[in-house]
Parts: sequence; structure tokens; C-alpha cells
Amino acid sequence: MMAKRVKTILPDLTFEEALEITKIYSISGNMKDNFLITKRPFRSPHHTISANALIGGGKIPKPGEISLSHSGVLFLDELPEFNRNVLEVLRGPLEDKYVHISRVGASITYPCNFMLVASMNPCPCGYFGSKEKPCKCTEFQIKNYINKISGPILDRIDIQVQVSNIKHNNCYNNYSEKSKDIKERVNNARKIQNERYKKFNIFCNSELNVKFLNEFCKLDNTSNMILQSAAEKMNLSSRGYSKVLKVARTIADLEISKEIKEDHIIEALQYRSFENE
Amino acid sequence: MLSVTKSMALQGLNGTLINVEVDVSSGMPMWEIIGLPDISVKESKERVKTAIRNCGIDMPSRRYIINLSPADLRKEGSYLDLAISVGVLKSIGILDNADISNSIFIGELSLDSKVKKVNGVLPICIEALKYGIKRVIVPKENAKEAAIIKDLEIIGVQDLQTLIKYLKGETIIDREFADIENIFEKEIEYEIDFSEVKGQEITKRALEIAAAGGHNILMVGSPGSRKDYDGKKSKDYFTRFNI
Repeated sequence: MMAKRVKTILPDLTFEEALEITKIYSISGNMKDNFLITKRPFRSPHHTISANALIGGGKIPKPGEISLSHSGVLFLDELPEFNRNVLEVLRGPLEDKYVHISRVGASITYPCNFMLVASMNPCPCGYFGSKEKPCKCTEFQIKNYINKISGPILDRIDIQVQVSNIKHNNCYNNYSEKSKDIKERVNNARKIQNERYKKFNIFCNSELNVKFLNEFCKLDNTSNMILQSAAEKMNLSSRGYSKVLKVARTIADLEISKEIKEDHIIEALQYRSFENE
Repeated sequence: MLSVTKSMALQGLNGTLINVEVDVSSGMPMWEIIGLPDISVKESKERVKTAIRNCGIDMPSRRYIINLSPADLRKEGSYLDLAISVGVLKSIGILDNADISNSIFIGELSLDSKVKKVNGVLPICIEALKYGIKRVIVPKENAKEAAIIKDLEIIGVQDLQTLIKYLKGETIIDREFADIENIFEKEIEYEIDFSEVKGQEITKRALEIAAAGGHNILMVGSPGSRKDYDGKKSKDYFTRFNI
């Protein structure tokens, strides 16, 4: 329910991004009636998808789902149900933001700067860690289930969040924020990023590389200490470390703060919880 | 007589300018397409022949050699039809005086000489700009998409007869324009909204951060925690890309 609503809060496209998306949709024959795509794509392939369909393929390679979700969202529902070898092909593209496919007819590079949204249950029965129902799985089963998602893939996911169940009576009464209001904040944050990275031909924080991290994600002493000690305790990889920095940068941008403050780092660290469990 | 028409072949998102060389000479009547064409390009010979005949033009029985150069590059797709047919018409003397320099032709022909839409028109136009092309003749249905590139003169054609008249200078086809400013101003509307999700503030906050910075996100939760349930909104799927 929530994953699909992500598309309602995605930031507006810039003309350059719209062109990039339209190019890919144009060669894959997905244009329908419109002549320029102005919506960020949202692709949710079923978990039976093959590796070729995901990254692109064919005698002369055509774009796959990851390229079709360029500048948009690739939603993988029930992540552990995907074939392991299918998920592993995402390793390179998730970091590089492009995919190079070599086949008999041609070798072709497609862009694939997508945002991965994935969802999963914590265990086969689904209730591990839930307050409402006891979990029926053995430790071995749980381990097996989680192990379907390899460490390197998990490491590439910036934000990991536990979704708790809500009570029925809370379902229909409370006021909750409209997509439009959330989108406004998202748009503002993205505008700040676009402005900051204008010279470097990147659009958002997730695209930052090491060189830019040092320049744009500077920390004061206290925040630095918090991050250092947390990284040690949580056994963060150097990639995980930079992911925390990037998320903290985004949180700061959402609050229109120029510097990354302690609170931002602490919140960003919370989103790496799953890795340790 | 020899004629050279230009078109464009795509490898992924990169384009290469293709010279369609048509030579018509006396000899045993035959029709051959060379230059590494794949099946869809080879089949274009039947489409082009029939379409030209259905325009009411007599094709003399001659020896037709069509070379797609550079010859070491594999060509696929039906979008070379239009360039081949213009090349043939020029070779047999129908379009003798037509000026086709700095122009490329993209489009598939049907047997009744209609020009049908093809894939990849926008990347072709972007690449054409790099080669210094000034005018692109595309199927009418693709014209709006091509017109996003403002620096090119985009001519949308519906059928081969009109194109012949246009190239002869007997009729004028207006250049296509796309209204880019307005299409961005249009508010995108969705049937679903975050206000329908009650509670779950932590997850919503995480999704907001993910959307703002383009971060990857993994949601872990028990069944029914509404990570992804979408109820009866499957209709949304069929209208996703309609603007």
C-alpha cells in the first residue's frame, strides 16, 4: 500500500531527466500516446522475472526493467522470492547507475539510475518480531529466508525500515498527511540538491561519489564522533558508511539545513538497523 | 542511376548515420539489399516495392542494388523503409530535382503506402543533431515526439504520395512543433494518496527521505502491515503513462 504510493511523492522531473526517460521508452516501444514522459516511471516486475528481463537482453539488447525505471522507482515486492541469481545481477547497476550488456549482435550500455524500493517479510511465516502473533519459524528457517538476500545487495540499500502492524481502530480515524504536502517538501529538497550539484551533472544525493562526499557532506566534531563510534559498533562497511552520510545529507536537505547536524546523523543511522539483526 | 539517401541506425541509445545507396542499372531484373541487414530490413523490399506500386508509380524491371553503408554495421528494424523508397524513387527518376541533403528519413511503410510509426524516434533525432542534420522526415504519429528537439525541422508524413509531392515541391507540409512548456505545467494526478495510509509515520518518513534523495529502501514487515497492498487500484496500472 505504501510502496505504491511512493510515486505520488516523487519529485517533479526536470526536462533533462524527462528526455532521458523518453529516449529509453522510445526505443523499447513503450511510448503509448504521449510524446514526452513527464511522470517518473514506477516499475514493479513480478518475482518470477528472469535476469535478462531485469537488466535487459536479446540478440541486440533491449532495455530491461532497471533501465525502464531510470529516474524512477523499481519496486521489488517480496524480495526473498526473487531468484538469487536475478537479484545478484543488480549489484553492478545499483552502484554504477548504468548497465553494459554484451550479446552476439551488439554490446550496448543503458543508463539505469533507479531508486530501488523493496519489501519483504522478516521470516517465512511472516510474524518474526511482531507483537500480535507469535512466530512459528525455527531459527534455521529464518536464517535461510534472510540469507536469500546477499550481504552485498543489502549493503547497497541505504534505508532499511521495519514496518509494524497497526490496530484496526487506528486504521480509519486518524488524520494523515496528503501526498501533495509530502511532495512539496520532497520537491524543495530536490531543488536544493539540483542547485548544489548543478556543475557536476548529478541530480541527487544518492549519486554522490567519494570525492563529492568529502566536499558536500562535511561533519562537525560531535557528529563525526557519533558516526565513527556507531560505524564501529555496527560494523559498517565503507560503502555503508558513505550511505549513512548520503542519507544524513538528504535529511538535512529536507529540513533546509546547510550543515549536517547530529540529529540527521542519528536518524540516518537508525535506517541501517536490519543489517545487524 | 545512383542515388544516396540518409537515415539513422541505433545501437542502444547511440546512432550512426546510414547512407542508403540505391543503384538501378540494366541487366537481369533483381532486387538485393546488402550491408548486414537483418530479416526485418530484408523484408522491407516487398513493402517498398508494393507501396511504390500502390502510389500509382510504375517500377521499371531493372537491377536494383541497395547498399546500407557503413556495411559492417548490423541494421535492424523497419524504419529504413522510407529512406529506401525515397532512394529508389530518386534512382528511377521520379524525384530527380528533390533536395534531400541534410535530411534523414525514418519510417515504416505499409503495403497501401501509409507511413507507420516506429520506435526510437527521439534518440534518432538527438543523434541526428550531432551529425549536423537539419531536417528529419518522420511518420506523422512520431512527429510530436521528434519535435521535442527544437533545432531540427521535423516533417511528419502520413503516406508516401504526400511525401513525393512534398519533395517535388508541389505541396507544403508544416513543420511540427511540440508544446513542451505546457506539458510540464500539467499537474499529475493519481488515484492513490498517502492520506489513505493511517499511522505508519516512521515508514512514511523513511519513504519521504528515500524519494527526496533517490535512496534505495527496504521495508520489512509482517503480512498485512500494508507495505505494498494496493487493493482495487490495479486500474492505475493501465493509465500510468497517460498524461
